[in-house]
Amino acid sequence: MIVPIGPIHPALKEPIRLKLQTEGERVVKAEIEYGYVHRGIEKIIEGKTWQKGIYLSERVCGICSYEHTQTFAETIEAISDVDVPPRAQFLRVIANELDRIQSHLLANSTFFKSMDHETLFMHVLELREYAMDSIELLTGNRVNMGWNVVGGVKMDADERHFEPILENLKKIEERFEIVRSLFAEGPALALRCKGIGYMSKKEAIKGRAVGPIGRASDVKEDYRVGHYTYDDYFDFKVIRRTEGDNYARTLTRFDEIPESISLVRQAIENMPDGEVRTPAEIKSGYAMRRNEAPRGEVTYMIETNGNLIKNISIRTPSIPNMDSCAKYMIRDVPTVADAVSTYASCDPCVACAERVAITDEAGKTIVKRWDEVI
Amino acid sequence: MLDAIKDVVRKSSIHVCIVNCGGCNGCDVECVALLSPRYDLEQFGIYVHNNPREADVLLLTGAVTEQWKDNLKRIYDKAPEPKIAVAVGNCPISGDVFAQEGGHVNAPASNFIPVAAEIPGCPPRPNEILEAILAVGPQAIADRGREQK
Repeated sequence: MIVPIGPIHPALKEPIRLKLQTEGERVVKAEIEYGYVHRGIEKIIEGKTWQKGIYLSERVCGICSYEHTQTFAETIEAISDVDVPPRAQFLRVIANELDRIQSHLLANSTFFKSMDHETLFMHVLELREYAMDSIELLTGNRVNMGWNVVGGVKMDADERHFEPILENLKKIEERFEIVRSLFAEGPALALRCKGIGYMSKKEAIKGRAVGPIGRASDVKEDYRVGHYTYDDYFDFKVIRRTEGDNYARTLTRFDEIPESISLVRQAIENMPDGEVRTPAEIKSGYAMRRNEAPRGEVTYMIETNGNLIKNISIRTPSIPNMDSCAKYMIRDVPTVADAVSTYASCDPCVACAERVAITDEAGKTIVKRWDEVI
Repeated sequence: MLDAIKDVVRKSSIHVCIVNCGGCNGCDVECVALLSPRYDLEQFGIYVHNNPREADVLLLTGAVTEQWKDNLKRIYDKAPEPKIAVAVGNCPISGDVFAQEGGHVNAPASNFIPVAAEIPGCPPRPNEILEAILAVGPQAIADRGREQK
């Protein structure tokens, strides 16, 4: 029997259709139908200046909106040989890590909600509000921050911003261990996640899983390693686990939060003085950059002509993650309820996923799956 | 008398369904943030269900994409009367940045279904969303219930 879930469903936040092929209660196979939030962002950006492009790239995804603008700005900087001042690089790291904290907390709270554990859902969402407060203090906005520009960041920050941010981080840390141990050591929760939605390392590589989802299956890729700011000034540990199940994915995200907190602390302690923005003259050319968004690797490929963007291609982490979720994780989960929580554990973000469209001869849009397109 | 009782019941228990008809997710996460203990949506008798068949208020987010052109009306029809739709964010009001050449959006959402209230912002803050639902929601539902009689 085929059980359809979505596009609007109590278990889902975003419109997507899951088709679960079941034998009794066991889910044998799953298929994901995309296409409900295709807006055509890449096509809109073509032929516009970066000032307009960066505004649109921020709206690719609302949850990890920060990393999109940073990668966009870094790609244009790579084309135009602009060196970003160190202070701006440090401020970018602070905003990036705060964004990672809130995104991971949101993803985990959604996972707990999908398992109907309201207590942890509330605890984790409450912690997230402190991260949101810090983001608002630093950038002025909660979700779409508008903080990056080509050549640096928009505004400078000083002690008046950093002190409340450090206080908020302390508040997160105080409660964090309790919340984490509630999940990691609670017998009822562990029973429902250990061994469910298993994906081996081989399958993760084959399914191109990235970010915390890949790292929970022992894939070692973290694109913060290799980024010039992180390599030059910062010290952090890449979290990896070997289990590859729902438990490991959630715990990987939990364990990355203290690392992000320590990165913010390092950035605030060693903050260099100087400018936060350099004037940039946009050149013609092509560049590609990869960065680690909360969900995994974000790639921007941009070709400019004068100061106009001629061509842009965005690769977001959600498509490989959701694809490997449908192919490997949901396969053979014991119940339909587990299929939903497994889907939530892969941290899906439908808004990122949908930018690829193919039109037929009559001009009608058909949205296809990523692997059919390549 | 019966009407008065029905009004009280309708005003004090509102079930909400978030319908993302093609946005960037920003408004949806702000709606989820409303559930957190800081804003505590449920103290006002509002419950986020995400099930259109039980909803009193449909929170629309996102500019209406191609796939949603027909489906939006179908979702709206599935909700039982009395019901209202509230547009959250700039997208269902004007299409925001996506209503440009090359974009596949059909904003505004009011072309497809009747929209009772609009909350501009990209995205609006959670307390703005809460304030708007509380300002228009209970009375609009009660009024619509009387109209439907």
